[in-house]
Order: sequence, then structure tokens, then C-alpha cells
Amino acid sequence: MSALAAAARIALIVAGKDATAELRGRQATASTAFFAALVLLLFGFALGPDPTRLAEAGPGLLWLATVFGGLLTIGRLHQLEADDGALEQLALYPVDRRALYAGKALAGATAMLVLGGLLLPVVALLYGIDLASAWLPLSVILLLGAVGFAAIGTCYAALTVRMRSRELLLPLLMLPAVAPLLLAAVKATTAALAGDPLAELGSWLGLLVAFDLAMLVVGTAGYGFLLEE
Amino acid sequence: MPQTIIYVASRTAGPAGYPEAVATEGLARLFGRSAALAGIGLHVQAGRTVALLGPNGAGKTTLLRILATALRPSFGSLFIDGLDALRDADLVRGRVAYLPHATGLYDDLTAAENLRFAVRLHGRRGAEVDERVALLLAEVELGYAADQRTVTLSAGMRRRLALARLLAGAPSLVLLDEPHATLDADGMALVDRLLGLWHAAGVTVVVASHQADRVTAMADATVRLEGGLVAEVSGSGVFAAPAPTAGLPLPSLAGADR
Repeated sequence: MSALAAAARIALIVAGKDATAELRGRQATASTAFFAALVLLLFGFALGPDPTRLAEAGPGLLWLATVFGGLLTIGRLHQLEADDGALEQLALYPVDRRALYAGKALAGATAMLVLGGLLLPVVALLYGIDLASAWLPLSVILLLGAVGFAAIGTCYAALTVRMRSRELLLPLLMLPAVAPLLLAAVKATTAALAGDPLAELGSWLGLLVAFDLAMLVVGTAGYGFLLEE
Repeated sequence: MPQTIIYVASRTAGPAGYPEAVATEGLARLFGRSAALAGIGLHVQAGRTVALLGPNGAGKTTLLRILATALRPSFGSLFIDGLDALRDADLVRGRVAYLPHATGLYDDLTAAENLRFAVRLHGRRGAEVDERVALLLAEVELGYAADQRTVTLSAGMRRRLALARLLAGAPSLVLLDEPHATLDADGMALVDRLLGLWHAAGVTVVVASHQADRVTAMADATVRLEGGLVAEVSGSGVFAAPAPTAGLPLPSLAGADR
């Protein structure tokens, strides 16, 4: 078996374990989705009933709610490892730590995709946005956004998980770092929903791809060091 | 015919026939300005069972964590089965099994799922995984709790499950930190039985415990730590080197709490 196939197998084992644990803790999953939907609802109240204003704000608020929910999700996926010293045991398995990173990032990206998928109809309902005409570009944007967020979030979660004030530090460190991703995702979503009149969707998707690749390279190279104490 | 519960890493994977399972020189670890270890020089022959004794804060847990490659030393060298554990930690990890204070189990997974995860990360696949998991659960007498979520298990049952996880791989060095903690009489007997099996299989075991009489009776040698240093070595197969603390920028040991 090639090294790449072996690493992929380890990554799938780790991601499968995280998915099982996450599904068992359905209360936490439901709470995160409910929290993100609540963010959308409250922003809707704050913006008022003007349908044009709501539709304009929709893409930005979708991504803010996804990022807020994603912070909770990514943090929780590493909290699983911190409980009862599991992270130390995970780091001691005789496997490539880059594969462990890939597994944790895959679990995070999948959770983000599910969260984003749940929030899209909520945005459509609350802000009166027609998603059906742009489902393909929206799916691509959501996928790229989820991968980028999980790629960098996995590193920051590993960095902060042993700290006492991790719940505060994770968003403090992550929010500035995901600013380029947030900007590109919001702009790309706006362009996709508007039918891309300025033909700028490709540029924003390019930025998302570049962000994802850069964060995956950094995460793959650095995650092993973050597991060291 | 009984199935094999103990697998041992082939020593030919490292320097063939290397006589020392553990060799440290000047091993020191600082936490802030406190030195938990202040220069440990220890040589353990392969296949020996070593009781690691000492009062709270003597450095037992820190030493075990460094031997397990869970913690990097601030100074000194460490060789496991002849492999440089600081340079080739990835290779060493396949040869070491470590039972820490915390069990390191996933609360939301069942007992069987926790073991299945460990067995698969040790390279087993297919039907072999479930066979091995069933065998390990039977070994620690937890077969009846296979499908119970770990969060619902008692502290003693969790300890048994963590002991079973040690058998998921094929270690040549087993490190146990207070293995008898939270266990009832049957559980303590289980630890003793595993110690006997490892010894018979030629596995090197270092066990830190406050159950001094119990582990000393099972051990080939005893190492006593005090204040981050080797205070006394007795028995066979273990040798202590003088601590080369001169020249190391170690602060006062006062306040060392690990």
C-alpha cells in the first residue's frame, strides 16, 4: 500500500471516529445549528422588514452564521480529544501525524458543510433569497469555504485545546485569520446569487482555492508540532 | 488452542539484538522555572520489569511521559531499543505502549469502538479488527460492556479498557503510570497477570506505582526517584549513571510539582 493510501486510510479512520462521536452527541450538534439559525433570525430582526435590504445582507449573514457555528463545531471536535487526555494518546499512535491532521480537517469540513447546508434554506426563508437558480456555484462556494475554515481551524483548535481559556482564544485567533476566506466567500455568494453580472465569481473562487491550498499546506506541515508538548 | 494476546515488536526492526530497551543520559525537563527532572541517567536491559517508585512530585510521571515520547525533554538524550527517540520519535512510537493517569478514552464511543479505533490505527484491518477487539475485551473481562458508551462505565471499568488498549499494538516497551488506580481486587490481579504475560513475552515494562509492595514483588529491579533525580537503584538489569547536572542551566528544584 502506498504511503498516500495509508495516510488516506488513517484520515478516514480519524474522521469516522469524530463523526460517530459528533452524531452520538446530537444535543451539541442540534444546539450549534440552532445557535447559527438564531443568529440569522436576530440579524433579520435588526435589519427590519425591507426585502431589498434583507436580500443584500443575506450572503454576508449566511457566512457570519456559518463561521460562528463553525467555531463551536471545530472547537468541539478537538475538545473530544482533550477530554480525559485522548489527544496525548492520539499523538502516540504510530501513524503519520499529517494523516491525523487530514482526518481532523476532514471531519471539520464535513461538519461545516452540513451546517452550511442547513443554514442555506434558513437564509432563503428569512431573507427571501432564491437559491434554486444558483445552487451549483453556491455548493462550490460552500465546499471551498468549509475546507478552508476546517484547514485553519483544525490548527488553531489543536493550538488552544490545552489552554484554560480556549473558548475565548479560539475565536480571537481564528476570526482575523479567516477574514480573507470570509471576504471571498461573501463576495462569491453575492455574485452567484446575482447571476454574476460583473463576471467576478471566478476571481473570488480563485481566492478561495488559494486560501484553502495555503492553509492545507501550513496545517499539514505544522499540525505535528502542535501535538508536541 | 488459546489465542495470543501479547504481540511484541520485532527487535530486528531496530538495531538487531540491542541489549538496552531504555538508555537515557542527563534527561531533564523544566516546567517554567521548576525542574521536574534534573538529569536522569538510566539504562534498562530489554525484557526487564522495573518498578518506578518515589513520593509525589518525584518526577515519575514526567519520566514516563518522556519515555513515551509524549513530552520532549529540555535536555539530555533518550534511546529506546537503540533508536534515538528525540530524532526518530515516529519509529519509537510503534514500539511503546503507555498507560497514563488519564485513560485517554472517547466518552461518546462504546468500549468496543474505542478499542476498534486503537486496533485499526495499529494497522489491523478487516475481520481481524473485530476478532482482536473481542479478544481484548475478553482479556480485561469487559465483553459484557462492549456496546456500552464509555461515559457510562465506572472508573475501574475505564481503567480496564485503557489496559486493553495497551494490547492493541505490539510494543516492546510498556509504560504504566499507576495502573492499579481505581481498580478493585480483581482488577489489580488483572494488572499483575498482564505484568506476568509481558515479562514472559520479553517485553520491557516500567511501572510507576504507589503500591510499592505489589509492583516490587513483580519487578526485576526498582528505581527510586526523589526531587527529579535517581535516588536509588536495586535489583538486576537496571543501571543508573551519575546525573550530569553540572553545566545544565537548571533552576532550583524547589517548587517542582511533577
